[in-house]
Amino acid sequence: MPTTEPASPPAPSAPVRPPGRFDGLGLHGLMTVLSLLMILPFAWMVLASLKTLAEAGEPAWLPKAAQWGNYLEVFQVIPFLRFGANSLVIAGWVTLLQVFTSALAAYSFARLEWPGRDRLFFLYLGTMMLPGLVMVIPNFQIMMHYRMVDSYLGLVLPPVYSALGAAGGAFGTFLLRQFMLGIPRALDEAAEMDGASKWRIFWDVILPLSRPGVVTLAIFTFMGNYHSFFWPLVMMKTVDKYTLPVGLLFFDSEHGQATHLLMAAVTMSVLPLILIFVFLQRQLIRGIQLGAVKG
Amino acid sequence: MSAGRPVQRWLTGMAFLLPSILGFCAFTLVPLVLSFAMAFTDWDILRHNIFHHAPVKFVGLENFIRMFHDPQFWRDFGNTFFLMLGLPFAIAGSLVAALLLTRTGRRRAAVGPALVLATLTLVASGLVLLIGGMPEPAVWFLFGTLAATVLVAGVLTGGTLYRTLFYLPNFTAGVATFVLWKKLYNPHSGPINLALAPVLDGVAAGLRAAPHAWAVGLPAVCGGLGLLIIAWQARRLRSEDTDSGPVATAAGALVPAAPLACGALWLGNSAAVAAGVAVLGCGVVAAVAWRRPRRYGPPLEAAAGLGTEFGLALVLVPLLTLLAAGVALGASLPVLARTGFEPPSWLGDYGWAKPALMLMALWAAIGSNNMILYLAGLSSIPVELYEAADMDGASPSQRFWHITWPLLAPVTLLISIMGLINGLQGGFEMARAMTSGGPAGATTTLSYFIFIEGFETGRLGYASAVAWFLFVLVFVLSFVNFRFGNRHAND
Repeated sequence: MPTTEPASPPAPSAPVRPPGRFDGLGLHGLMTVLSLLMILPFAWMVLASLKTLAEAGEPAWLPKAAQWGNYLEVFQVIPFLRFGANSLVIAGWVTLLQVFTSALAAYSFARLEWPGRDRLFFLYLGTMMLPGLVMVIPNFQIMMHYRMVDSYLGLVLPPVYSALGAAGGAFGTFLLRQFMLGIPRALDEAAEMDGASKWRIFWDVILPLSRPGVVTLAIFTFMGNYHSFFWPLVMMKTVDKYTLPVGLLFFDSEHGQATHLLMAAVTMSVLPLILIFVFLQRQLIRGIQLGAVKG
Repeated sequence: MSAGRPVQRWLTGMAFLLPSILGFCAFTLVPLVLSFAMAFTDWDILRHNIFHHAPVKFVGLENFIRMFHDPQFWRDFGNTFFLMLGLPFAIAGSLVAALLLTRTGRRRAAVGPALVLATLTLVASGLVLLIGGMPEPAVWFLFGTLAATVLVAGVLTGGTLYRTLFYLPNFTAGVATFVLWKKLYNPHSGPINLALAPVLDGVAAGLRAAPHAWAVGLPAVCGGLGLLIIAWQARRLRSEDTDSGPVATAAGALVPAAPLACGALWLGNSAAVAAGVAVLGCGVVAAVAWRRPRRYGPPLEAAAGLGTEFGLALVLVPLLTLLAAGVALGASLPVLARTGFEPPSWLGDYGWAKPALMLMALWAAIGSNNMILYLAGLSSIPVELYEAADMDGASPSQRFWHITWPLLAPVTLLISIMGLINGLQGGFEMARAMTSGGPAGATTTLSYFIFIEGFETGRLGYASAVAWFLFVLVFVLSFVNFRFGNRHAND
């Protein structure tokens, strides 16, 4: 139907939506209040870590004078460095192995064509629904049988594949497959024309192009395993091998009244996370959103 | 496309899959089968381990029968569901946060200068505090500086800062922050009761000064708010262009009756329960009859919107219950106020421990991945839809219920299923770090129960049975959620 309406100009400068009541400073004020609610616990944490033992039992926010020595004392009271190193090394290895094996599997599922591929992929997907709790008990049995309880290997290997607290390899495979499906096939076909092997296509074409997905998965896996609690708690018998979450709790019960030291330890275990987050948040959020839009 | 015989292609595919599938079999498939088998045995860590090789007995359904007769299991089952009542609030909170963030996010970001400014202010104020020796009023200086920094940086970065700060609790949530909250909740030295005490004192003083005004005023305000919510709900259900079918409308109409039933049950009054049920039935009939008749097709269509109504009810019913409690307790307030009000002892109190955990979980859950997913969902809604709605003179609430909410339905469905799965098997870290499951088992969830049975008492067979029961529950609830989630989501 040919419209002969007088071209009502779409008012180029008009805003898409009329500004609501909350726009402007009011909205920012509201957001500031909400943001403060989110960060005040952290502010209290830092301030409490600077108190003396006596001050820690009082309800005031501020210490009379900052006790920086608390931070040194933490290292003397508990093997904090050891716990921290355990956490970092274990979470690091799990992340490395999980991202690598998941990327290989995702490439196979997304790009290679072989009989039985889709059925196997559905099996992977199906296990994502399993509660990690179902997995913890039999995995522990297996670890006991092979005498891997209280070993680093037993702490690293099962979480690479199974969802024992953090997401497991099936989730990683699923996430990376979603990313790889979004990469134009023309790229690997061109590489194939040039005589590249499947491995070279994976390593030089597909993997670099799925970088946002890889980074997101790496952050998630690392965080999940850094926070992981159930599996290490079940597996670790010697204090030397405790990770931070297990170690902190041990500290909480042994030195229940030493709130100031506990808060110093908590601050030191949360601080790296805050730094990681501030530097990687853009990548992380983009990765979550890309995965969501395609998923 | 791929060249080569099927066998060769299979070999290539498997070669890439090998590192993954070996571990998948060893740590997922085999444990799965083992766990299922264990659920039907009397496997006990004390009798069946590498040192003792007592034969493992097959006991059939004994573990499951025992589970259904175990009062502790049912208590922890109830606890798990009670804690999950926070889930709708967390989802609603994420949605509101995302909606607010999209409104702040229009300005071009000036992240660099804002970060520099924020860091400088914080360092400067920290130095001032350190040099000034931190007298008590300095805490207000601290709060003021923090607020001003956040505000200025927020205006400069156009919302990026708020998003960062909202997401931070979720990112750091773990045993460390749970231990932190345990200290925040400390009834004597924690900041929460420090902030609450003067408020409660003020209320008590006000009550003593004007007991009758309060005894009448509080129930009046609570009752008014309750009526307002009911009226809003009725109006929403009646508006002719909602997409929900008659079943969903009936479910939505039950909302006002539910708090009555809750209250009656709590009082243990069977007559009141009967009255509540009568009111409930009348309400449903009235609401369905009140609606304009429309033709509906298959049963699924009649149930359309059930997910929305159910989710909304999960938010409205607790609110109404609280308001009803306000009405009921109002008259006795002046008597209670004579001794003044004590702030709750949170984690140490049987009644307050669960709400305390739920509040903390809400703090961590608002700015979670859910918020990020909602942000992505919001940014993918075409602006033209809102423009068209504006042309037709749609009100903000119409815009929300007819554009935003239906188009976000897939996201809502996804995060409610994820929340369900995590909620059913969650709570272990919190309970272990903060309350050890207490007081008197008030915060022991099913996951904690499995831990106790499996790894402290050692009855791995029994624990496996509970874990499998949990799995079936997760599966069924996810399926129901998916089926009735929302018809927009399933299209």
